[in-house]
Amino acid sequence: MSEGRLRVATLVTALLGVCVAAYLTYVHYAGLQPFCAGGGHGCERVQSSSYASLGGIPVAVLGLAGYVAIAIALIVPGERARLIAAALAVSGFGFSAYLTYLELFVIHAICQWCVASAILLTLIAVLAVWRLLLDDDRRPDPGAKEP
Amino acid sequence: MSSREEQKAQARAERAARERAQAQLEQRRKRLLQLGSVVGVAVIVVVVLVLVSQSSKPDPNASSGVTVAGVSESRAMLRGVAQNGSSLGDKNAPLVLTEFADLQCPFCRDYALDVLPQIIQRYVRPGRLRLELRLQRFIGPDSDVAARAAQAAASRDRMWNFVDLMYRNQGQENSGYITDSYLSRIATAAGVPAKLVLDGSTSASMAKPLIAAQAEAQTAGVTSTPSFVIGRKAGQGKLLNLASLDIGAFAAAIDPELKR
Repeated sequence: MSEGRLRVATLVTALLGVCVAAYLTYVHYAGLQPFCAGGGHGCERVQSSSYASLGGIPVAVLGLAGYVAIAIALIVPGERARLIAAALAVSGFGFSAYLTYLELFVIHAICQWCVASAILLTLIAVLAVWRLLLDDDRRPDPGAKEP
Repeated sequence: MSSREEQKAQARAERAARERAQAQLEQRRKRLLQLGSVVGVAVIVVVVLVLVSQSSKPDPNASSGVTVAGVSESRAMLRGVAQNGSSLGDKNAPLVLTEFADLQCPFCRDYALDVLPQIIQRYVRPGRLRLELRLQRFIGPDSDVAARAAQAAASRDRMWNFVDLMYRNQGQENSGYITDSYLSRIATAAGVPAKLVLDGSTSASMAKPLIAAQAEAQTAGVTSTPSFVIGRKAGQGKLLNLASLDIGAFAAAIDPELKR
């Protein structure tokens, strides 16, 4: 896959992540319960658990900030932005894995929105690392150098 | 073409191939270095986030330490929700859920940490339900001290902050963990003057609402904690017979009452 296509695919996935995180941020501040398919209480339980915030900041807000930062790093051209996008994506994937562990083994409840976010972050991490490892001849301007 | 020129062309081709191979090797080395940096940064970021997350998790043994666990979570849960004495939520809410609890009771703690945040989010914040707390003193003398201290916090409309932090820092029943130092730390973290709470913990005037709460519990038929009564007025209504302490069981009891 070419660099351009990889970048677009990653950006689209990141924008889906922005939507998921924005929804969870909205329900948090609006005092609503997240929509849970099948009528379960997993989302509500996870979102209202003590792990739903980090140092007083809701995890949904952290997720939204992370997805937006990844999207910006994908829009900005250049080697450095590519590195930052990959670092953010892999960090997000790692933290998302930790949150999934908490859901399964500590909170004992699964939030469908968090699972969706974990899947998106896994995809973003794979695509961002793939893009980072692309050979120069698949990049838009092989001769270009970072200022 | 002479053989000399052929040799030169071959040498050029070999040099070009060597240079290409060298360039590819360098490129691969650079990419692996970049990947290593990315993974290294990610590991640091994740470790920091996990440490922050772990440092603020509820710790049942925190009472022996000098820090108060769960302060930010407790604040986040109660932020923007009206408090008035022992009540939490809109005073005009159509329904009232009265809880009878002992601050040393581990099941009351489980309810407070696992279910209460969901009840607040689902029913109290939208103004559909008001919560009332009636502290009991079943378990031992420390329950009495803790309940009086909580009543003192109620005089500043901070009872729910105080009680929530007590649960988040609960120790073993009757182990003597409710010391003056413990109460001072909880009070300060709950935004109540420590002196007010310490004076209240031994004050006869703080026993009055507790005696009233005990009478309400007897009238309602409460025999264990936590127990819940649902109705239109505080402390009055139907004693809930819950199959389990989870949001589903509470929703099954609250939703039909809201539809009436």
